[in-house]
Parts: sequence; structure tokens; C-alpha cells
Amino acid sequence: MEHIQTVFSFSSLLTIIIGTIAGVAVGGMPGLTATMAVGLLVPFTYTMDPTLGLMLLGGIYCGAMYGGSIPAILLNTPGTPAAVATAIEGYPMAKSGRGALALKVSVIASFVGGTFSVLILLLFAPVLAQQALKFGPAETFLLAIMGLAGIISIADENSSLIKAIIAGLIGMIIAVIGTDDMSGSLRYTMGVIELIDGVDFMPALIGLFSMIQMLELAGQKTHKIDTSVLNQTSKKEKLPKGISKYIALGSGTGTVIGVLPGEGATIAAFISYNFSKRISKVKELFGKGNPEGIAAAESGNNGCVGGSLVPTITLGIPGNSVAAALMGAFIIHGMIPGPELFNEYADRTYPFIISMFVANGVFLIVGLTLAPYLARVALVPPAIMVPVVATFAVLGSYALNNAVFDVYVMIVFALGGLIIKRIGFSLEALILGLILGPIAEGGFSQGMIIGHGSPWIFFESTIAKIMWVIIFILLVPPLYSYLKTFVFNKEKNA
Amino acid sequence: MVISKKTVDRAVLIGLILLAVLLFSSTSEYKGIAQKTSAKYVQFLAVSLGLLSAIQLTYSLWKDRSQTRFVLSGNPLRFAILIVAMILFAMAFEAVGFFIPAAIFIPCIAVALGYTRAIPIILTTIAILAFVYLVFVQLLAVNLPGISF
Amino acid sequence: MSFIKKIAATMMAAGLATSVYAADYPSKPISVVVPSKAGGSTDRTARLFIDLAEQNNAGFEFVVKNIPGSGGQKGFEAIARAKADGHTIGLNFTPQLVAHIVSGRAKYTLDDFHIMGNVAQDPGIIAVPKDSPIKTMADLAEAAKSGELTVAVNGIGSDDFLAAKSFEAVAGVEFNLLPTKGSTEQKAGVLGGHVDASFMNLSQMIKQHSVGDAHIIAVLTAERDENLSDVATALEQGYDVQMSATRGFVAPAGLDAEIAAKLDGILAEVLASEEFKANAAQGNIFLLPQSGTDYRAYLEGLQAETEKVFEAAPW
Repeated sequence: MEHIQTVFSFSSLLTIIIGTIAGVAVGGMPGLTATMAVGLLVPFTYTMDPTLGLMLLGGIYCGAMYGGSIPAILLNTPGTPAAVATAIEGYPMAKSGRGALALKVSVIASFVGGTFSVLILLLFAPVLAQQALKFGPAETFLLAIMGLAGIISIADENSSLIKAIIAGLIGMIIAVIGTDDMSGSLRYTMGVIELIDGVDFMPALIGLFSMIQMLELAGQKTHKIDTSVLNQTSKKEKLPKGISKYIALGSGTGTVIGVLPGEGATIAAFISYNFSKRISKVKELFGKGNPEGIAAAESGNNGCVGGSLVPTITLGIPGNSVAAALMGAFIIHGMIPGPELFNEYADRTYPFIISMFVANGVFLIVGLTLAPYLARVALVPPAIMVPVVATFAVLGSYALNNAVFDVYVMIVFALGGLIIKRIGFSLEALILGLILGPIAEGGFSQGMIIGHGSPWIFFESTIAKIMWVIIFILLVPPLYSYLKTFVFNKEKNA
Repeated sequence: MVISKKTVDRAVLIGLILLAVLLFSSTSEYKGIAQKTSAKYVQFLAVSLGLLSAIQLTYSLWKDRSQTRFVLSGNPLRFAILIVAMILFAMAFEAVGFFIPAAIFIPCIAVALGYTRAIPIILTTIAILAFVYLVFVQLLAVNLPGISF
Repeated sequence: MSFIKKIAATMMAAGLATSVYAADYPSKPISVVVPSKAGGSTDRTARLFIDLAEQNNAGFEFVVKNIPGSGGQKGFEAIARAKADGHTIGLNFTPQLVAHIVSGRAKYTLDDFHIMGNVAQDPGIIAVPKDSPIKTMADLAEAAKSGELTVAVNGIGSDDFLAAKSFEAVAGVEFNLLPTKGSTEQKAGVLGGHVDASFMNLSQMIKQHSVGDAHIIAVLTAERDENLSDVATALEQGYDVQMSATRGFVAPAGLDAEIAAKLDGILAEVLASEEFKANAAQGNIFLLPQSGTDYRAYLEGLQAETEKVFEAAPW
């Protein structure tokens, strides 16, 4: 009870509000990430009251995860990789004047996913963490495969499935560049020191989405703004019926995946998106602006927030890079993750967890209030939008590792990406391969070592068996329906 | 010169098949334990890429009769200006820092894209620079290279 | 006349200092290169230092510059390359600093640095899952005879890797080595029982050991660690395996002698202060203050040892 009072004091509330709004801004800016903001602010909280400092960072984390969806929907420039799936559905909606609705769905889904996961964190953290430990390298490999199965859901209907898979493979191959973790030797780095750690996915993401979008805008023959879009936007559109099913699905998936190690949010968003497509009654609307996809993806990635903190604060094993940066803030204040956090430091840990409920509420209010205004971003003339976003693309690519090299990486991805996009390769599949490739490789290689060279390890545990069933469900029906249409078309042509 | 979409497509696919072959053959150089782990993974990627690209290429040669032109951009001049400006921006970044190139880049691109009203351009430029200064330099203490203020 | 005036002005500006160059030092904020990401333990060490260094020395301002990536190599190179005017110093960590030299990847050698001194260490340890039958180093050597014992190390060429290799040589066994990406994966491997043992660092496991989630069977330092006095060293158990990660301060070589002395003095003063000790203890940083001379000797010794391992099994 006293913990709740701590949260609802004036200074706490102010800190949470500042943190959350800053988080939304950070997530919304192409090139600024939650990891970067939390990492850079950890030293700043050193001089703050520990509880307030943690609340600030928690607010940033919650806000940024939601914020990534705003530019994804409005400009097709996902601010975080976890928002790529949101862009697939959100941008077509914004183009057809339903941007405000897309934003509304996204903020509500984010709120529900975030709140649910924090509730789980509050109630079940120690129990869940013990379960998460059963998840070894072999299971991590399967999780990456589950995420990669998303490539198939990106592809079916319009674009060529084979080309989507090829794009995914290209991404995975680019991810091979760098140090081979197994032997320590360098692969395909061509003597470039910046490539020792491989190609960072953030400059790639900025190049493939933000920059290509700007190149496309710059290359448009005419710069006419469709004002009818705005008129439609101002009409209040109600939330689609049955959307809650997808939000619940995403929240659950996101929280579970968040607890597991790896780049949880991206995998969670894509797996939730993939699930939603499988159970949807209007599959054919996916990729053309279906709010169901946004609901699943956004509740999925925000579900990771609470989930990722479960192993972080109970075991000191951060679920993703943001959680790892947050863990630094705990340690600075002498709060070493472990059981002590829940007894000796309970007066800091519990207010921190409870503050994230408030943070979710803050971005819900902010998001709902701003949605109609944000939708007007579509009215900014491209001639202004392009240089501004391009500037942030350069700055964001640089600031990630303080390396100009990453700016060039971003430009190369923009140019190369545009060429292969024009001939029908899916850039979403490419970025998915780039992000999940290293996780798949690490899990595979480590699994092979632990299994003493036998691939049986990938089928051994109960968790692994369940995961294979899920992979089967995700892969086989769409593959079957794809083959069916393919064969059917051929007969028709013949 | 008119290049058709399908020519670019085929060229890229041939390139990918070559890449797959090179990638596969390179795995023989992996050392020690990597031979049983990473090498297997990379071989799998190489084989999949090679096979799928070959299938796609065969399909394209066999079926694709389309004559669609390959168009990288509807407005090649503006497209080229933006690309070149980005590269110049990146090159200037290391030498003179962020603010000076950005102060030139934003208005120049705006004008190049056909926007001529001076006041919005100037206001946007100032707003962006001030925002970056406050957030990156003051709040997050990111070290931007070059001339500091 | 004007010449004399000039001299007088310079003299006045220089005050009592004997060297003009040192007198206007520092003329701008001093960059502290941290070769890792913000928020990590190296970064925290740097910021704890800066806090007190600025407090103790009026007119000195320090700015952290994070240059993460490639196991610190980018950051180390940036320090070695920087202008030796005392306005750039940086942190180094071992064994990565010397490992990059040994593997031939680094564009620097130890001679490119002025070694200011060591600050902290993180002793190497061997950890096993809580219900493991392995309780001592002898058990570990026995179990490893089959060649099937899976042992996690944090990447090839790391301190863990060197320690594991050193144990293999001493005990005449061979592990099924599992290189991980970061200590988090090692920790998950031990806590979840996916690996049989793990060579890692004390700060990463001390809490888990004290609450019984994992078990530390040996500390790889010459003496027992004061934070973990119930665990015997490897040496005590009859295996001469010693390894710890250290974190110290360096500057580019070729500093003006006075500036070098000033910087070394600032570091020594901070290291001696009670406040620094208290802050470090709270932040889970184990101090091991060493003078520049001692630390250089340590680094040279480490480089020689690393060379031996590299020759036997290059990476």
C-alpha cells in the first residue's frame, strides 16, 4: 500500500510523466532507440533518488515501445524494429485516410499489452523466471525460427513467396558478416574494423524504411497532397469489432516471449502478427491496412516490456538490450538483481513496477489525445518532410555507435534496398532475417555444442516439442494454400 | 537506355547464385569447432539461397514475358540530388560536425524538391537544429564530432 | 620593450608554474574515452572517477566519450591515436587490450599508451549449477577427462577463454568449450543447468552464489577474495590458474611529463579517497588500485602469457 503512495506522490508522478513522454518522443524519432536513451540516461540517474531514477527509465521504456508505432503508421518509417509489422498494416491505413484510427488501435493495444505484462511482472516474476531458465540455446534457435516464419505471413497473397524467403536469406547472410563467435575469427569483414561486430540492424532499419520512404517521396513526379485524406481523418471512426481478441492474443504472446532471452519485442510483434493472420476471418485484408494486425503486433511488442524485466530483476539476466541498460541503473544504486530486490529493496522495486502502470496510462492518454493531430503529419509538404527525416536518419545512424561508418551503412541499405524492392523483394523479410539471423545462428551453434554435435538436442525438451508444433501450425497452412493457388493458376494458364 | 524490370531481376538472381556458391565454398576455411557449428549454418543459408534463386530464375526465364520498364525513381534528378547530398552530408559529418552541414542540407534539399517559401524553411531548419542541440548535446550528452559549441 | 612586456605577461599568466605548457592545462574539457556502451561497468567506473576528479580539481572538466564495439578495439585505437596533449584519456580493460595486440588485429602496441594506473579488477571464477556433483577443482578435472564436459566462456580471446585454456593445460584435459555472446548467456546457462561449468567473473555470479542459485568452486586470483572468503582459490586447490579482468586508465603516449604527472596524481587521489571506495562498493566494482609502473608490468606479463595461448590455439 505504501508503495502505491510512493508512486502517487507529486515528484514521482511528474517523473513518470516526463519519462513516458520523452520515451514516446524517442521511440517516435527515426534513429533514436529506447536502448540508446536508457543507456545514456543511466549515468544521469546516478545523482537522482534511486526510485525516481528507475521510474524515469521505466517510463522511457514503456513510452518508447509505443512511440515506435507512430512514425510506422504515419510515414512508413518504423522507429524501432518491433514496429515493422505495425507499418505493414498501419501505413496503408494512413494512406487511405484512416491514420487516426490506426493510431488509436495502436495506442490501445500498446496500453493493454503493456499493462498486462507489468501485472504479470508484479505477480509472478520469481516463478516465471525459474521457468524461463529452462529455455536453453536449442529453444532460442527454435524461437528465432518462429520469428522467421513471419516471412511467410508477410509474403502470401500478393508478392512472391520465394522472393520473400530469398530476401530473408539475404538479411541472414548480411548478418553473418563479423566475428564468428564459435572460433573468434573474422568472417567477410574485408579488414574493416567497423565490421568486426557485424552490420548493426538499426542503420539498416533506418536505411531500408525511413530513407527509402524519403527517396520515394523525393522521386514522386508531383507533390500533390490529397486533402480528402484529412477530411476523412476528422470523422471519428469507431474501433473495429472483435479487435479485443487480437489484443489479448498479442498481450499474452508478447509477455511470454518477453520473458525469454533474445531481441524479444521484434520476435513477439511478428509472431503475434503471424498468429493474428492465421486466425483472422479477413486474411485477404492483411498487408492492405488491417487494424487487427496492428492490434496484435503492438500489444505483442509492448507485452515484452514487463516480460523482459522478469528475468532481469529476479536473476540479473536481461531479456533484451533495453532491459540490460536498465539493469545498469539498478546496479549503480547497489540493487543487484536477485531476491534482495523483493525484500531488502522492496521499497524501490515495487514502486518502480507500479510506476509502469502509470506510464502505460500516461501514453494512453497522450496517444488518444494526440492521434487526430498526429494524423495531420500527412499534410506536411514532402519538400519539408524529406530533408528533416533525412537529417534524423543521418544523425540517428551516427549516434548509435558514434560512428560515421554507420551513416554510410544506412545509405547503402537505402540504395540497395530500393533496387531490390523495385523488383519485388520484401524489405520487411530482409530486416527480419538481419535481426533474427544472429539469434538463430547463436542458438544453433551453441545447441550443437551442448548436444555434442547431435541435432537431436533441438527436439529433446518438452518446450522444444511444443515449439515445433507451433512452427508447424505457422508454416504449413500458408504454404499449403500458397501451393494450391500456384498449382491452380498453372492449370488455368495451361 | 531502357532496362526492363525482368532484366534487373535476372541479374540480381544470377548475382545471388554466385554469392551462394562463393559463400558455400568459403565455409571450408572455418576453423576448429566452427566447422561443426557456424559452417553448417552458413552452408544451409548458401544452399537455400542458391536453390531458391535458381528456381526463381528458371521461373522468370520460362514464364516472364512482361516488358515493364525498371524505374528506380519517378524523378531521377531529385532522387540523385538527395543521394549525393546525403553522401556529402556524411562526409562533412566527420570533418565539421553535425550542425553546419545540417544547416546547409535542410534548406538546400527543401529548395531542390521545389519548395520555395523561405520562412517555413528557415523556421524548420532552426527548430530542428535547436531540438538536436537540446536533446542530443544537452540532455543525452552524445558526442557529435567536429566543432563543438 | 614590447618583448619584455610579452614575457612578463606570460610569466603572470603562468603564475608560479614552471612550464608555460602545463600552466594553461587544461584549456578545454578532457575527453574520457570509454571503449564500451554507456551504462556498463567500464562506463560506471569512468563516471565514478569523473565525479570525484572534478570535485578535487577545480578547473578540470571531464566528458565521457563512449566508443563501443569490437571488444574495445575501436576505443583503444582512438586513445592511442589521440593528440597527446592531456585532453584525451581513456579506460582500458584486460585481457582485451593485449589480446587484440596478440591476435594481430590492433593498430596499437602497449608502447602507444601512457599507463596511468589500474582501478578495478573482476576476479575470474569457475561457477557450476547449484545441484552439480562438481564441488572442487579436482572434481572438475576428473569430470573433464571424458572430453564431454560443456564449459561456457564469454567469447574467444576473453579472460574466461584464457583461463579455461590455462586450466586445460594445467590439468591435461580438454573441455567441450561453449563460447557465448556476453556474460548474460553464460549466467543463463549455469542457472538453467544447460552447461556443466562456466569460467566467468565474480561480479556476475556473487549474488547467485550467496543465495544458492549457483555454486562458485574456485576463485582465480592469488589470494582469496574478501567478498567471498569461503571459496578457495584455484592455487590452493593445486591448480595454478590465475585470471582476472582489470580496468585501468591510460592516455596516449608522449605526454608532457608534468601533464602526465598531474593526470596520474588525479587518479591516485581519487583512488585513495574513502568516498570513491564507498561508491565503488555500492556499484559492485572491486577495487585494485595499482600505480602506472606496476600496471604496465602486469600488462606486459599478460601479453606474454596470452601469446603462448594464441600460439597453441589461434583464433
